[in-house]
Amino acid sequence: MNDRAMERLDLTPSLAKRQQHGRRLSTRLPMAALVAFLLAQRPAAAVELTLPGQLPSLDVHAFISQGFLLTSANDYLADSSRGSFEFSEVGLNVTLPATDRLTLGLQIFARKLGPLGDYRATLDWYYLDYHWRDWLGIRAGRVKLPFGLYNDISDIDSARTAVLLPQSVYPAQNRDFLLAQTGVEAYGYKRLGPAGALDYRLYAGTIFLDVKPQPGSPLAVVDLNVPYVAGGRVQWLPIDGLRLGGSLQFLRLDTDLLLASISAPVAVKIPATLWVASAEYTVHDFLFAAEYSRWLVTTQSSNPSVFPEGSTTSERAYALASYRLNPWLQAGAYYSRLVPNVDRRTWPAGIQHDFALTLRFDVNQYWLIKAEGHYMRGTAGLSSSLNGNVPLSALTPDWALFAVKTTAYF
Amino acid sequence: MRTGVFILIGLAAAAVAAEPPRSAYVVIVHPANRVSRVDRKFLAEAFLRRATRWPDDTPIHPVDLGPDARARIRFSEDVLSRSVASVRSYWQQRIFSGQGLPPPELADDESVVAYVLGHPGAVGYVAAGTALNGATVLEVN
Repeated sequence: MNDRAMERLDLTPSLAKRQQHGRRLSTRLPMAALVAFLLAQRPAAAVELTLPGQLPSLDVHAFISQGFLLTSANDYLADSSRGSFEFSEVGLNVTLPATDRLTLGLQIFARKLGPLGDYRATLDWYYLDYHWRDWLGIRAGRVKLPFGLYNDISDIDSARTAVLLPQSVYPAQNRDFLLAQTGVEAYGYKRLGPAGALDYRLYAGTIFLDVKPQPGSPLAVVDLNVPYVAGGRVQWLPIDGLRLGGSLQFLRLDTDLLLASISAPVAVKIPATLWVASAEYTVHDFLFAAEYSRWLVTTQSSNPSVFPEGSTTSERAYALASYRLNPWLQAGAYYSRLVPNVDRRTWPAGIQHDFALTLRFDVNQYWLIKAEGHYMRGTAGLSSSLNGNVPLSALTPDWALFAVKTTAYF
Repeated sequence: MRTGVFILIGLAAAAVAAEPPRSAYVVIVHPANRVSRVDRKFLAEAFLRRATRWPDDTPIHPVDLGPDARARIRFSEDVLSRSVASVRSYWQQRIFSGQGLPPPELADDESVVAYVLGHPGAVGYVAAGTALNGATVLEVN
């Protein structure tokens, strides 16, 4: 979903509410750290639970992460200017290969990222997967959205080098809108002889969203739903390790807003079209990736004088590289660029450059620690509501972010 | 005497040079499997679970050694063209996005042989010289 549209709808809890959560957080953080420590001390492969009788066994995996964010200026994703531990994720999944073609699975996930998450456990994904042929399978349920190279793994710290994926293409604050859909998906893998292979996924469904109370906001969200989300991703794999692909997504967000001064609610529809072109090359211990994306978001309003109509195209791109120096140390770097409105590339609120450097330490097979530094130019990726409603143009244009994260997983 | 020693050394060197380089591992399948030769790319797809069936429609059950096993490291580089760490990262992506599960990892070569003998569609690899107990060696092109 478009960042600006989100900002206008003010779907994030107020600062006061976040501060309340911060107090509760103080007791939870040591517990999370302890669980992570204990998990890491007990190396184990995936847990396999044998069911009685002739039933196949359950495969169980889990992860737990705790991060820390600190910025030199501005609050980014959390109250980061003072240093924030509001950066936690926990996931547990079970998979049951019922037959050689039918698989059932689900993942429970909870997180805290600044004002988002509140540690509330949700069903992150669940599905019935019928793998008929390699070139055609069907999944039904709540399925991760295949958008770009890494959208469906954006929660999975252990699967990448960086602490934060390039936020221009994979904004963490938009997770609820961009991560998973409830519906159906067709997928397949087709060999093309000497030309390599095609990997494809097509999906259609909806996204269920919670309406959260927003104390202090002049607008009350009465209703919020996504009547459709549909799209697909096609990737061509011409040689070992090379993925070239494109993703396209259509969705619409419908909401009814109520103002204290007006009795009738304002109906707002926000159709959006998102696409991304992707390239990734993995060879031995090197990984190179680059993506370019544009998101077109239109706002249609039943009362434009209260909630104005408009259309915005944003531009998002990054290039990254990583190298594993030895079994326990990996280094990565990326440059990411965000332009929220291609027709208004004003400095500093109309653009954000992000230069990132990461070191990943794999303490053992089940525990990792990452340290990451970012040099940011521009304020387009910041949230005004996280920064005391100060306009983005008035925030510090040159700033730095330091992030540390540790994850235990099996 | 010195001439004889040189001849012996020369013969030994020639014998070593004539012997083809021995692989650190052999790929094995169940004895009932009719496939005797396989394309490296197909084998890679099987271990990444992109190819899930043998030509006779039997489900493929790949099995791995642990990440530190020398045969695993060589197999990963030769067949999958990736380091073991990179393959593990691939599986982390698949596991936690609900896209699939990795092959089981067994502790030693003997366990892999036993697994392959116990599953008609199984394919695994073991260190060269391991007692195969009837498992069929698969030739990889």
